[in-house]
Parts: sequence; C-alpha cells; structure tokens
Amino acid sequence: MDIVTDTLSALWKVLAVGILLGAGLPALYALGLRSLNAGRTVNADGTVSGSASAGGRAVGFVILAVVIAIALFGIVVIVWGKQIFGA
Amino acid sequence: MEALFILIVVVVVALAFDFTNGFHDTGNAMATSIATGALKPRVAVGISAILNLVGAFLSIQVALTVTNKIIAIQGDNGAPIPSLMGVPILTIVFAGLCGGILWNLATWLFGLPSSSSHALFGGLMGSAIAALGWGGVKWSGVITSIALPAIFAPVVAAIVSAIGTRLVYAITDRLAPESRERGFRWGQIGSASLVSLAHGTGDAQKTMGVITLALIAYGSWTSTDSIPWWVKIACAASIALGTYIGGWRVIRTLGKGLVEIESPQGMAAEAASAAAILTSSHLGLALSTTHVATGSILGTGLGKKGATVRWGVAGRMVVAWLITLPAAGVVGAITWGIAHGLGPNAGTAVVLAILIAASGFMFYRSRKNAIGANNVNSEWEGGLAPAAESTQPVPAAGTPAKA
Repeated sequence: MDIVTDTLSALWKVLAVGILLGAGLPALYALGLRSLNAGRTVNADGTVSGSASAGGRAVGFVILAVVIAIALFGIVVIVWGKQIFGA
Repeated sequence: MEALFILIVVVVVALAFDFTNGFHDTGNAMATSIATGALKPRVAVGISAILNLVGAFLSIQVALTVTNKIIAIQGDNGAPIPSLMGVPILTIVFAGLCGGILWNLATWLFGLPSSSSHALFGGLMGSAIAALGWGGVKWSGVITSIALPAIFAPVVAAIVSAIGTRLVYAITDRLAPESRERGFRWGQIGSASLVSLAHGTGDAQKTMGVITLALIAYGSWTSTDSIPWWVKIACAASIALGTYIGGWRVIRTLGKGLVEIESPQGMAAEAASAAAILTSSHLGLALSTTHVATGSILGTGLGKKGATVRWGVAGRMVVAWLITLPAAGVVGAITWGIAHGLGPNAGTAVVLAILIAASGFMFYRSRKNAIGANNVNSEWEGGLAPAAESTQPVPAAGTPAKA
C-alpha cells in the first residue's frame, strides 16, 4: 500500500501549496487592486468620489509586480526546477 | 509491410487524438475569461493555442512512462516487451486511441468536460485487456494514477478556489464594482494563460509518448529517453490547432452552465487550477486538467456568498467521469477485436473507416445545435442549446478589458 500513501501525501502537498499560491496570490492581487484604488470612495448611490492617492497607487503597483514575479518564478521552478535544484 | 501500414495509421490517429485533446480542453483554461468578457472568444482561444504550443516544447519529462503506468506492454525501461514488438503493440495502441477519440467526441457533443487523459487510458486499458487478458492492465497504477487523483483533484481544486474567492471578495468589497471587475480581468487573463501553458506541458507529452512507443515497437526508433524532433513538432502543432478550433460546447458548459462567473471568481478559479496543476506535475502526480478546472469553477461558486451552483450540471459531469474509463475501454476492446480479427491490413482499414464514420456522424449531430464564438455566452436556459433568438452575439458581463 506504499504507493497509495505516497499518492495521498503528494495530494496533501498539492493542497497546501495550492492554498498558499492558488488562493494566496489572488488575495495578494486583490490587496494590490485595493491599494490602487485607495482614496476613492463609493457612495450609497453607486457613484465614485475622490481620486486614487499617489502613495496607494505606488504600493499597489509594487504588490502587483510581486504577484507577477512570484508567478513567473513558479513557471521557472516547474519547467526547469529539476535542472536547477536537482531531482 | 503490414506493420508499416498500422504504424502510419497509429501516428495519424494519435495526432487526431491530440487534436481532440486540445479542443476538448480549451475550456479548462479559457471558459471563465470568455464568460466574464475579459477576452473575446476568438482572442481567448488564440492565446490559449499559442501557450499550448509553447508548453508542448517546454515539456522535458520522458513521456514513455505515461502508458507504462497503466498497461503492461512495456518493460521497466519503457521499451516494449519483446514478444509484443511490431503488430501486436501497434494494434493495442491503435484501438486504445480509437476509444479515446470517440469518447472525447461524444462528451464534446453533450458539452461535458471530461478528462482526455482518462479517455486515452480507458481506451488503452480496454484494448490491453482484450489482447492480453486482465493481466494486461497494471491495476495498482490505475489506482494511484487514475482513481485517487480523480477523486481528490476536484476536491482539492474546489477548496483552494473557494478560499481564494472568499478572500478576494472580502479584500475588495469596498471597491467600486467597475474597478473591481476591470482590475480582476487582467488577473484572470494572466492566471488563465498559466493554465494553458501548464496544459501544453502536460498533455501534449502523452501523445508524444504514445507515438514514440509505436515507433519503437515498429523498430524505427530505439531510444527510450528521447523523442524524435518531428514527433514533438507534430504533437505540439496538433494540440495547438485543436485548442484554436475551440471546443465551444465544453467552454459554454464550464463558463455559463456550472456557475455564473464574475471576473474576481474567474481569477480565483484559474489561479487555483494553475497552482494545483503545476504543483502536482512537479510532484509527478498526474492530476487531470479537466478535473482540476471543473473543481475550481465549482469552488468559486461555493466561495462567493449568494452564488448559485447548478448541481444538476455538476452531477452530469460526475456521471461522465465515472463512465469514462469503462466507456472508452469498451470501444478500445471492440476495435481491438475487429482490428485483430480481420488481420493487420484489413482490420486496421476497417477500424479506421468506422472511426472516421463515427466521428463524422457526431460532427454532423453537433451542427443541429451548433455552438461557436457567436453564441457561447448566451444565457443558460436549462441546457446546452441556446435559445433560438440568441444567435446574435451576446455581450457578456460588461465590455472586454481595455488596455
């Protein structure tokens, strides 16, 4: 039954990494968007007032850049990971 | 001479399978982006096709292990068992591919996303059982490579996607709906592109492995740890072309049928799919892209407060998944019987004719309620077929993303 437990332990890792990256990255992206829109408020009638603050925009773009960097790094690890880090 | 004829047919049919694999699975990556209007349908399938092509060339793993996990026609190093060299192995592979193609087309006709890999495995298992008896299948491999992943993949993806969806909505609940929708479209496009790339690295490889196995069985290739360059190019091109043609029926079910999707949900779903697929392939665990993508889309419906999941549609998919292996297996076994019974030349020709006729019939049936880029996003009214008046292009939620 070793192969079954091996498979289950691999699935467990997929779930853990999945939550970390698969749910974490969209959440980080959402933080970036929120920061980009900091300073703007939505009124009760749905209109938007105020303008985005410069600081918020700067932080927002940094966060989005981090998200993109992590995603690209992920691709590199997946495609070339075995050559870079060994098996 | 006999073996050469089957070899040529096997290569062509394998590429045809690769093509159906591409168009059946376009929806896994792009259904959500098409449904939310983040990408126009034609643009979406175009991007997905290019990334599948790139992914197919990036795949570096040895592909001969794909069949070797499931059926007992190869030795430990991946080379065919000597007694099966030539016609026997080519016939088994040919019949298996027929089972895979016909199941892919049948599920596409009904607009059901189902795993192309399972269809291929099912077909191969059926033909191997017919040829070699029950010992022709490696049952432990079936449990670890097919059964367990099939049960867990949708669950894992749904959990990740539901958590992501919940987080994303919680974080952005005070944003103006338009800026939220617009902002997430870009995230959606990025994450969907990742899924396309991952699909290319994983799925094109399977066909490369099958063709290489056939070449070894025929005797025109000997290396078990490399693939002829023309096989790589042909497989990459087939899967990309299939992706570009777009399995609109499946895209429609995934994008409109299961859950009504907004772009934050689309991003959460595709990010969950990409993470699950890439992590599992890194760990050498073959999760089906289809199972993962479907689970993610379902999960994003569960994660958003007030969203409805159409459980009837989900139930039909599960039924299709459960009968994939036996259905493709029966076709694989019957076609093996015909091909083997009538002898290598006549048998192969007859099966090929049956395959072409059955495929043509299913294509003909699909034209009766054709679904394409024009009506893929029509309102879901109880079934795949859109209402007659909605053949005009229906704008999805909002307008496409602007630069």
